[in-house]
Amino acid sequence: MEDKFDCIVIGGGVAGLAAAMTLARNNMKFLLIERGEFAGAKNVSGGVLWGSDLAKLVPNYWEEEDGGWERFINHRRLTFMDKQSTFSLDFKSKHFNETPYSGVVVLRSKFDNWLSGKVQEAIDASDFAMDSFIATNIKVDEVLMENSKAVGIKTGEDEFHADSIIIAEGVNNLLTRQVGLQDKYVPADHMLTGIKEIIRFDQHVLEDRFQLNGLSGMSNEFVGWATDGVEGGGFLYTNRDTISLGLVVGIKDMREKKRSPHDLLNHFKQHPTVADAIKGGEVVEYSAHVVSSGDSRVMPKELYKDGILIAGEAANLLMNAGKAIQGMDYAMRSGILAAETIVKAKAKNDFTSATLKEYRIAMDDSYVMKDIKNFQDAVHLLHTDTMQNKVPNLVCDFGRQFFTIKNEPTPKSEKMLLGAIKRHSSLWELLQLGFKARKSL
Amino acid sequence: MKILKLSERLGLVSYRNQAKSEIKPHIIVDTDICNSGCPHKCTTWVCPANCYTMDENNEVHFQVEDCIECGTCMYACDQGAVDWNYPDPEIGRGINWNFG
Repeated sequence: MEDKFDCIVIGGGVAGLAAAMTLARNNMKFLLIERGEFAGAKNVSGGVLWGSDLAKLVPNYWEEEDGGWERFINHRRLTFMDKQSTFSLDFKSKHFNETPYSGVVVLRSKFDNWLSGKVQEAIDASDFAMDSFIATNIKVDEVLMENSKAVGIKTGEDEFHADSIIIAEGVNNLLTRQVGLQDKYVPADHMLTGIKEIIRFDQHVLEDRFQLNGLSGMSNEFVGWATDGVEGGGFLYTNRDTISLGLVVGIKDMREKKRSPHDLLNHFKQHPTVADAIKGGEVVEYSAHVVSSGDSRVMPKELYKDGILIAGEAANLLMNAGKAIQGMDYAMRSGILAAETIVKAKAKNDFTSATLKEYRIAMDDSYVMKDIKNFQDAVHLLHTDTMQNKVPNLVCDFGRQFFTIKNEPTPKSEKMLLGAIKRHSSLWELLQLGFKARKSL
Repeated sequence: MKILKLSERLGLVSYRNQAKSEIKPHIIVDTDICNSGCPHKCTTWVCPANCYTMDENNEVHFQVEDCIECGTCMYACDQGAVDWNYPDPEIGRGINWNFG
């Protein structure tokens, strides 16, 4: 391992593994360093991996008997919640059953470990089967710089040298800060904490309860009472024989409202709809992970500099614009594009910004940066009090009237709706909201 | 379904060598800063493992043993009291997620 690597990838999460897979397939000599005992040991997400990029990395992954993923999503639900009711948009469709799937639920300890096995297979098939490595249990302390170009990394007393570094260290991006691409301190304003319980069931109970068929699965996001007025929302995803149930809650807003994430999770679990969904389950893990809101203001100043590319959550590539919480798919695509840029740089033998800026161009040209750019207003809108509290309350209030049949004359729906609007908001506010939503969504 | 206390939740976390006393903590908190003019003491609210606590005199205390390495406190503290790092795997400390 004395020779110089073409690339050192820091972090064995989705971004780092996607980069490593791409490097291996292109016959690059690289070192992937992971601080956990195995890839996935330190990784947490909601989590649905949206889109079909996984099929690019592991073709026909669905044919494997026990692949690293849990279930494919063919049933989606967005739930508005107030204290007693839930009102959902529910969409289930056969077209979701077709491969490549457009979303799979994953548990990262298993998924990342599986994907890292696939990367090892790609290494074994490459020209550098004996010279490229996945090294675990190693924490990178520092990116080594010479004349403001990255030349390697330092871990304890050891140094490893490379022409390029892909930093895929995750959201707590200490090295991205060290190399000056992110401020030393990132304020809590646009950061949220995700907390999650894994709740286990008898698999048949789980499948019957959520109407799952084979390996089909459901994703359900919640807004409103779930977070008791704190900025954020809830989620429920079905795994093989467990569910992932959790909240994503604003750090600054918890401080201002003097609430703790674990208390909020209890609050959420006690809602009658959630309580029915998790009845009889056994909690088998509790975990937490910081995420950005998707506000582009917390993204690093740039995604590259001489010898360095930043991928995945290290670049705060995550967004919830109302349709889905996307992060792992951004990590995967950015990891692939970063590695492809390194392949180009190797061909030119130029690892300076002059070549590495092509990563930025490829990212800007990809759906990742296009969506982040186009949906900034939606991110802001979702985090307003109107969307977080007033709309869920209004919707549930209307639902209670609309769906409750009394043996007395029924008011027209419009009258019910106007009543609900007046109790929780105003027509003027909703008109403004509709106008903003039309433009931003 | 039974609602779990935080201690029961943390009991489900696979900590490695949590009790090794000679190990240097991966997060160092200067609680003097917390207790001399921090207007919000944010960490005492937001830490998912409740590593930061506030006593009856509103003094902040910190223990690293329950840390689940999420990073929340690094963002929460805008006073410069939290020196955050990942645990060093060399000394075999930190968490392993079974599900993640």
